[in-house]
Amino acid sequence: MNQNKKTGDVMIKTLRLMRAYRAWQREYDAKAPREGDLAPDFELFDVNGKNPVRLSDFRGEKPVALIFGSYT
Amino acid sequence: MSLHDLYRDYQDQVKFLMIYIREAHPRDGWWLGGGLPGLGLKLSGSKVSTDIYDPKTMDERRDVASQCVTALEYEIPTLVDDIEDSVNQAYAGLPTRLYLVDLDGVVAYAGGLGPYGFKPGELKAAMELLLAVERV
Repeated sequence: MNQNKKTGDVMIKTLRLMRAYRAWQREYDAKAPREGDLAPDFELFDVNGKNPVRLSDFRGEKPVALIFGSYT
Repeated sequence: MSLHDLYRDYQDQVKFLMIYIREAHPRDGWWLGGGLPGLGLKLSGSKVSTDIYDPKTMDERRDVASQCVTALEYEIPTLVDDIEDSVNQAYAGLPTRLYLVDLDGVVAYAGGLGPYGFKPGELKAAMELLLAVERV
């Protein structure tokens, strides 16, 4: 009986977390540029802090694929 | 279909930029290195790290970005977001996300939120479409 209650509690917590995650994702996704929007321009440097690259430098030259990520 | 495959196949026609942003799952944040998630990562053979603290300075961030590039064997040119996370915030990039920007600087493809919405196959389709339109 106790085990059933524990399992039920874990399931409820998991469902609440999933609901909170979905709500957060909806809010967060709304901040992302959409297809048809002007891509926000930026200038960043490489891992050595050198060789600046500006997104707008590629206008009229090449399409640009942007890949966002980290090590974890 | 991996990003490495896409890069090798399309790098002559499309500029690829990897944007290293703040750590998604550092030890001092939403850490996934312990318990079942950690076990799952180990079993999956994933090369992502579970032993990184969130960099607090640009020097630290560049250092971790460099480790990341080496460990994950990135061939794709990598840029490092500033410590204010300006580009991450402008693109809602955390934890991972893909975009394609056309010749006019307009977003041609906006991928979903990673990891579930991270779909290199969709990016490939968007590149094919864009390149075909540009050839017309």
